[in-house]
Amino acid sequence: MSSPVSTGSSPAPSPQPITARTQIPSRLFSTLEGVFNEEVFFLILSVFIGIFSGLAVVCFRLAIDWMHLSLLGPLPQTHGWRLFAVPALAGLVVAVLVIHVFPGIRGSGVNQTKAALYIFNGVIPFRTAVGKFLCAALAIGSGQSLGPEDPSLQIGASIASALGRQLQISREKLRLMAPVGAAAGLAAAFNAPISAVLFVIEEVIGRWSAGILGSVVLSAVSSVVIVRWFLGSEPLFRIPVTTFKRPTELVAYAVLGIVGGLASVVFAKSIGYLHPRLNALPRWTQYLQPSLAGLFVGLIAFLGAPQIMGAGYDSMDQAMHGQYAWKILAILAILKILATTLSFVSGSPGGMFAPTLFIGAMLGGAVGDRMHHFFPHLTGSTGTYVLVGMGVLFAGFLRVPMTSVFMVLEVSGNYEIIVPVIVANTFSYLISRSLQHVPIFDLLTRQDGLILPSLEENREETILRVEDAMLAVPSTILSAQDYVDANYHRVEDSTDAAFLVRLHPSGWNVISREQLQRLFKEGKGELMLGSVLPKQFLPSLYPDLPLDSALRYVNNYPLIPVVNRADSRRLEGMISRESVFNKYGS
Amino acid sequence: MLWRLPKLVPRSAPVILLVLTLAAATGFAGVNHLVTRFTANQQARGRKLDVQGLSAASAGRYEDAISAFRAALTCDPANSQYQLSLARALRDSNDPRRLDEAESYLVALWQRTPQDAAVNLALARVAAHRGSVEDATRYYHNAMYGVWNSDPDGNRRRARIELIQFLLKKDAPERAESELMALATSLPPDADEHLQAAQLFLQAGDNSGALGQYEEVLRFDPVNATALAGAGEANYRSGNYATAERYLRASVNVDPQDANSRQLLASSEEILRASPFHSHISDAERNRRITAAFAQAEQRLKVCAQQKGISLTPGPNAASPLTTLQSLWTVTKPDLERLRSPAETALPDTIMDVVFQIEQQTAAICGPPQGTDLALLLISQKREAAAQ
Repeated sequence: MSSPVSTGSSPAPSPQPITARTQIPSRLFSTLEGVFNEEVFFLILSVFIGIFSGLAVVCFRLAIDWMHLSLLGPLPQTHGWRLFAVPALAGLVVAVLVIHVFPGIRGSGVNQTKAALYIFNGVIPFRTAVGKFLCAALAIGSGQSLGPEDPSLQIGASIASALGRQLQISREKLRLMAPVGAAAGLAAAFNAPISAVLFVIEEVIGRWSAGILGSVVLSAVSSVVIVRWFLGSEPLFRIPVTTFKRPTELVAYAVLGIVGGLASVVFAKSIGYLHPRLNALPRWTQYLQPSLAGLFVGLIAFLGAPQIMGAGYDSMDQAMHGQYAWKILAILAILKILATTLSFVSGSPGGMFAPTLFIGAMLGGAVGDRMHHFFPHLTGSTGTYVLVGMGVLFAGFLRVPMTSVFMVLEVSGNYEIIVPVIVANTFSYLISRSLQHVPIFDLLTRQDGLILPSLEENREETILRVEDAMLAVPSTILSAQDYVDANYHRVEDSTDAAFLVRLHPSGWNVISREQLQRLFKEGKGELMLGSVLPKQFLPSLYPDLPLDSALRYVNNYPLIPVVNRADSRRLEGMISRESVFNKYGS
Repeated sequence: MLWRLPKLVPRSAPVILLVLTLAAATGFAGVNHLVTRFTANQQARGRKLDVQGLSAASAGRYEDAISAFRAALTCDPANSQYQLSLARALRDSNDPRRLDEAESYLVALWQRTPQDAAVNLALARVAAHRGSVEDATRYYHNAMYGVWNSDPDGNRRRARIELIQFLLKKDAPERAESELMALATSLPPDADEHLQAAQLFLQAGDNSGALGQYEEVLRFDPVNATALAGAGEANYRSGNYATAERYLRASVNVDPQDANSRQLLASSEEILRASPFHSHISDAERNRRITAAFAQAEQRLKVCAQQKGISLTPGPNAASPLTTLQSLWTVTKPDLERLRSPAETALPDTIMDVVFQIEQQTAAICGPPQGTDLALLLISQKREAAAQ
């Protein structure tokens, strides 16, 4: 390990003679070395990252609420010109700040965190956190149709990265700091630690890694504890009674999945179409883009749909309790797609998590209402469809199927709806995948000129395994307990250049034809082969291992046995350098 | 960078942890201060909105009230009082779609404080809006046995009265009666409370219970016109026409405008005049009343037949019940001559049975009678009830 902690280097030896006074600190330090290796410290650090991220997210939420109330007043009572003037003017301020003071905050926090992990060695400037905090609070608080989760994620990642750099931890660990902070930030924003952990693994890290899982979980949990300490443990919504009684109702949820999948595609394609085009406009237009987006959002609100402003959690709550007719729900979903697309592509800092949930909730409510109208025997309440709808858009638009399922379960605290959620999300995910090949986060990074890995791509990669390059069990297997001359005579008719030797009681070795011939000619024919073989450890492979794992051995040994996992003496086949390279070349 | 933490090596780990702990503690204190100030500010704003909402709700402007309470909740989302107020406004807005939302607020509050009587009462009213007798009864009972912040006895009594009124509305008089019995034992010495209970007893059909409560009222206020009228009506319904007449006469004396009491009084007097079964009348008077009732029955029969266009003479309409009654009346008529005979002890009952049959069947065919016919019908019903 290259990290400075785990190298096991002792403190520099003291030139002073060892006395009773110097023995105590020496012992203390040697004990500390045992306790505080980098792995342990990283875990402890994760808790602190969670605490700092949680504190930052609490402040961020207060800032959004304060901005909102100061600029717009309590939303149900907001009237008149403020509805469109405030977002427009705030957009102008945000544009100036983004262009001149915090240029690094433009774009998705998820992608910036991924870029830190894969490109910038875990470095996210702390200035980014400050900028994201201020500008996102202003943008969301003034009513832009964006959510606080993505900025929270990036604020957490930025805090973690800054802390890691302060402590000068190893580059390997520093890279992992950003996802750990991201999980803390997202968990604090959603008040849902499991979903945050899964999202970071699915979307940011892009792979399951046992090494980082503990840290991600610790940071997520500690940040949620902090948020609940200050803001209470109230869920984001009042969860309605949810029921799922008849399996036939799954058809209705499948319909919701299809509708949600199509809406996800429309949403993603709108952003994918407008994002590069607005970026390509002259620089001076970037001053106006957030302002115009704000004006548009404000006009929609002014004309009768103030629900689309901001994150929209209150409206989701009301939809969950049947407050809107289906036509209103459908219109709100369409308007939210429009408003969020414009707010996001204009460069206003803010996330798409909450708008995604909003659109899903409204669509879910509309579909649920229609289902009840046409099939009155259905038992699922409109609130159930709203909840499932949230997961549907999450799965289809953000393309995080696992997170989407757990997010609904975690938010609702109800296991009963897991089957409808899985069914609907599956349909949505499959439709979205087939109609929109590149997931939205990957699309945005590519449009920004970056290529970052994604778990979806990893999942689809064909993995070569040892069995794919495996040669058949050889007809001649030598025994270490036989004499050299007996073994020599057994290989006389063979054309192979090397042979596997079965050791006693277990294990394998390898010998070339030349080596065996030389032993025979040196008159060692009456010695047992095992006694004259060079002592070496010949690794065994298993058929299901990735073929990559064979690469580290094939240069050192002419043959490598592939054995059965249940019985290591049972040979399944063998691989050679040529067989491996041929497979990669094919 | 003005300062930098020591590089992470095992030696520096305790120092780093100490610094991080101090930083976390400082951050915690700072955020705590911020949250406290922000929360106080929000709460003040929420209180103003709550006052607006309450005044709108009390004026019946529920849309404004809902908007104000929602705004108050955006300022102070965890405030259970605002949630309760919003739930009440949603419930009272007469929009059935809003009952779900009202209920979800209340259920959330109930889960936090299941003993809170106000929340249980609000939930009971939601259940009552939905018409769910079981749920409403459960929540009303929770409210009765829950914790009230002020005037617990009065609030419990009012909750029970509300439950009784709901049960009567849902046509569940037996359940209402059992609640009424519990209510009767918890009433304070107050005429109005007893009066309200008496009227509920009367609605539930428990005349003796109602009478008991009216008499309690009259102990406090002997000239209470409502109690006198109620006691008269309760006695009248119970068939105690003599007592009913006494109460009703007193009621009419106190409140001559009380048309219902006057009507009941007239009916009671008629019954007392027409009934041949009074123990303190002479044989001659009894016979006179039987004869008059018999004649009245024939008259009633003729009027009813005429009303229905039925001929009472034997012929093709012989199968009509009225014709049968006419035949029975004709057959019985000669028995009137034997009424004076001391040996014919069962004859008065036999003749009156014919009268009662005629009154009951004509009431069924031609509708409720008036005057003497009504009196005879009521006497017949009382006799039947006594026989059973």
